[in-house]
Order: sequence, then C-alpha cells, then structure tokens
Amino acid sequence: MTRVRVTAPRSAVRPAADTREAAQESEVGQVFVRSLIRSQLRLGIVVAAGFLLILVAFPVLLGLVPGLAAVRVAGIPFDWLLLGAGIYPVIGISAWLYIRSAARNESRYRDLAEDK
Amino acid sequence: MNPVVGIAAFVAVSLATAAIGFYGLRISRTTGDFYVASRTVPPWWNASAIGGEYLSAASFLGVAGLILLSGTDALWFPVGYTAGYLMLLLFVAAPLRRSGAYTIPDFTESRLDSKAVRRVTSLIVVMVGWLYIVPQLHGAALTIRITTGLPSWVGSVAVVVVVCLTVVAGGMRSITFVQAFQYWLKLTALAVPVIFMLLALAGTGATPLAEPVTNPTGLPPAGMYQNISLLVALLFGTLGLPHVLVRFYTNPDGQSARRTTLIVLGLLSVFYLFPTAYGLAGRLFAPDLAQRGQADALVLLLPGRLIGGTAGELLSALVVAGAFAAFLSTTSGLVVSLAGVISQDVLGGSVRGFRVAALISATVPLAFAFSTDSLALAGSVGLVFAFTASTLCPVLLLGIWWRGLTDAGAIAGMLTGAILCGGAMVAGAILGSAATPFWLAQPAAWSVPAAFAVMVLASRTTSNRVPATISRVMTRLHTPERPLETVRQTAERQLVERLPVERHPTER
Repeated sequence: MTRVRVTAPRSAVRPAADTREAAQESEVGQVFVRSLIRSQLRLGIVVAAGFLLILVAFPVLLGLVPGLAAVRVAGIPFDWLLLGAGIYPVIGISAWLYIRSAARNESRYRDLAEDK
Repeated sequence: MNPVVGIAAFVAVSLATAAIGFYGLRISRTTGDFYVASRTVPPWWNASAIGGEYLSAASFLGVAGLILLSGTDALWFPVGYTAGYLMLLLFVAAPLRRSGAYTIPDFTESRLDSKAVRRVTSLIVVMVGWLYIVPQLHGAALTIRITTGLPSWVGSVAVVVVVCLTVVAGGMRSITFVQAFQYWLKLTALAVPVIFMLLALAGTGATPLAEPVTNPTGLPPAGMYQNISLLVALLFGTLGLPHVLVRFYTNPDGQSARRTTLIVLGLLSVFYLFPTAYGLAGRLFAPDLAQRGQADALVLLLPGRLIGGTAGELLSALVVAGAFAAFLSTTSGLVVSLAGVISQDVLGGSVRGFRVAALISATVPLAFAFSTDSLALAGSVGLVFAFTASTLCPVLLLGIWWRGLTDAGAIAGMLTGAILCGGAMVAGAILGSAATPFWLAQPAAWSVPAAFAVMVLASRTTSNRVPATISRVMTRLHTPERPLETVRQTAERQLVERLPVERHPTER
C-alpha cells in the first residue's frame, strides 16, 4: 500500500500533507515560513536575554547586599551555593519554557500551512 | 598512590570501552541500517551519549582544580559549560537536525552552496578538534604521572593508542552506546567518592584546614572583564563544537533534538555539582595542593587523602577510571568527527581513507601535547571554546537565522575570528601566563563580536552572492517535519535523497 504512494507523483499523492514542500513552492507558503522563523528567533532571543539577566543578577545581588555572601547554609557559604548549584534550575526552567513555546509556534505554523 | 591502582583502572576502562564498542550494538552495518537506528535510539541514551562525549578532562579534573585555585570565580566555568547547551537549544538544535547535515562542513556547504566555504569550515573544524584533543592528552599525562609515577608521556601515548585501535578497528560503530556508558561511569566515579567522603567527615568530625573563602594561592581574583569574556566564550563556543553536532543527528526530528537537549541540560547540571563539591572540599581539606601546582589532580588525590586504607584505594581507582573515561570519550568522539571531515575532503572518502585520517587526527595533537606545557586544564579548554565561538558559532548562527549570509561573508568572518583568537592564543603562549595582559588571555569578548561584524559587513557588500536555493534551505531548516504517518510513507524516498549527506563516517 505504502509503496504505491512512494512511487506515485508527489503532488497527486499528498496534496496538503507535505507541508514542507508545499510551503517552498508557493509565495503564500514563504510568508508563513518567514513568520515562523521570525517568531522562533524572537522566542530564542527573549529566553536567552531573560536567562542572562538572571545570571547577571546573581553576582550583582551578592555585591549589593553586603554580608549575604558570608551567610552559611549547612556550613556552605551562600555565594558558593548560589553560583555552584542555584543557577542550574534556572537553566532547566528556561529550556523547558522554550521547548513548549517553540513547539506551539510550530503547530500554529502547521495549522496555517495546511489550512490554506 | 599505589601504582597498580592507576594502571588497573586505565586497563579496565579501555577494555570496557572496546567491548561495548565492538559487541554492544551492531545495528549500524549499512547506511540504511544507520538511518533506521537513528530513529530508534531513545532520547535518554542519546542525551547520555552527548553528555559522555562532552564531559572532558576540563570538566572532570579541571573544574575542581580551578575552583581550588580561584574559588567562586571558577564557578562560572561549569555554569558556562552547561549554559552553552541552553544557547545550543535556543538557536541551533532543531534547525541543525532538520538540515540533515552530518558535519559542520556539510551544513555550511549546503546552506551557502559553495565548495570554498566547505574547505574553510573543514580547516577550522580540524583546528578546533586538534586544539581540543591536546588538553585531553595533558590530562592523561597528569593522571598517569600522579597515580602511577610513570613518565607523563606514557599517559598521552596510551590514550592515543587506545583511541586509534578502537576507531581504526571500527569499534566506534556503536559510539552512541559507548559514550552513554562513559557519561554514567564519569558521574558514578565522581559521585560515589563524594558520598563516602561526606560519611567519613561526618563520622570523624574532621575540622577544616582552611576557610573556603581563603585563597590558597594568594593570586588576585579575576576581574569583571575576565568573567564576562569567559562566559561569552563558553556560551557561544559550545554550539560550534564539531563532535557535538554529530550526536544531534541521531535524533529522529527537530522537536526530539530539543527534548534531547533538555535532558542533556539535566545530566550536565547534576554532573557539575560534583566537581564543585570537590573544589569546595579541596579548599577546606587540601589547600596545599594549590601551592604545589597539583590543583588539576585534586579530584584524583582527595578520596585517598580523606579516606585511608583499602576503601581509599578503591575509591581512588574509581576516580582514575572516570578520568580516563573522560579522556577516551572526548578524544575518540573528536577523532571520529575529524577523521570524517579529513577523509571526505582530502582522502576521497573511502574506508581506508577514514582509517588513515583517524591516525592523522590522533597523532598530530600528540605532537602538540609533547611540545606544549600543560596549562590549567579548564583554562586551556576555555580558550578552545573562545576559538569556536569566534569562528564556527557566527557561521552557524547567521547561517540558520539570516538569509543575507553569503559564502564570501562566511569565509571572511571565519578567517577574521580564527586570526584574532588564534593570534591571541599564540601570543599568550609565547608571553607566558604571567606576562599576558588580561584582554589577550581571554580574547572572546572582542574576537567574537569582530567575527560577527566582519561576517555581516562582508555579506552585505557581496549580497549578489546570496545562494538561489536560500528559500528552500530556510524552509527545510525551520519548518517542522511531517507528522509521523507521512514520515513513514516517504521514508524510502527520503532515504534515497539523503544518502550522500547522511552517511555515518565509519561507513564510508
């Protein structure tokens, strides 16, 4: 069954399902592609900027609040804890948020490209 | 330390690596099999393999050593090594998987439709690979000297010999599984001794020899410029590492490439807690190692110091095994990527060519390692990140996100970055670490923006050279793959289309 589909001419077999090729061929398709690229780039930059802001905020916080670095949690200085362990969850959360939003952008694109 | 411990650990890791390499999984015999296998590697395996290949001598030994030396300033290294994967996720992971390219030269050639770009990219990939292998060999030399008392060169030569044997004999066919094993070995090798050390310290109630804030070297702390420049290098250097891209190819599609990266971030976050713990414990209980120039050996020596007797020796053996896993996995991953590039571009792409290229890829850095001194491991790997951030990172980022990039712009930008950053590295090596000004010791803060600027300006002035295929390529990079049912329907056609690009290098 599937073999027939593979050997048959593309356009006749998969009218709208093959979104990648359909998008290449039409001008409208290119508009959708460009808007997808723009929204993915914007999303990437927003998440990166947010993460970098938090990253910079850590040492700034330690510098602005004197004595904070000297606080001990279970014998470990607070600045070590913050930089040595506290940043990793921020990285993970940023990544998770990005993946969700990127997938949403793509499914929105897929809806548009297949509807038209 | 008992010399038998070091040698036994090295032999055990080498044999385990070879055994898994040869017998672990023999699915990928033909190109078609490889293609199918790539869709059946579970994301956890894949992520473990990426972590295994990525965690090198710098992560395993260097980070703890640098924390012992420079305290909280050095905590930016593990943070940067991890956050580099966040940048890779945000800007590179899915588009690169969708490009279908197997190597960075494959990507630049198909994106810019230019053989010349391919050649320049290949040259830079080979340079990056060689620069990155050298610290691995330095780490091996240090480990052998500290643990067995044998001359340093034995360690470097042993790693090169084991890597050559396994790669040339085809033992890297199931490289995904070898590398995944190495990640868990490295994590265990660091984590188990930490648990025992904590128990021992709690049991004896040992008092620290020094305060964690005390700097055992008495050197001034790094300034703001150094920390920023380092972060730029690590954040943007990761996404250009040649052996990282290959691993992304084993994801079935763009979205799963993203999911794999998320797991990688988790694995790296867990891993880096342990070198940090060693560094902190080193400051508390072994500050003298910093004075004697043995900071990079902290991870190897600490378990034996805090826990004496047989238990201490066994834990030391475990740490040594983990260290060799780090040298072997990163070196073999790099050698496989480099040999793929060299054999394809210079030697015609035959299986024999691949083997010759593997030998070249492994022995040239050995000569470098002999002729250079071992710097702090984390620092010298940091410089390699600065080099990739100044060369391959701009071409990947602009190639994926900017339609205006041209072949001339890409070449001009990559060469600018290579000359600026490479020049700074050479100047730093000639001047010696004491005489090098801070801006030359950490070049990324100016060499990365310079490379981007030249790439953009040169592309603007040659805008008539934007390839005609640009719309098709951008669509391919950024649009989601077809839903699964249609993937199956078109798998066979796609397979035929993709054959030349997506062959595994060992299959050539």
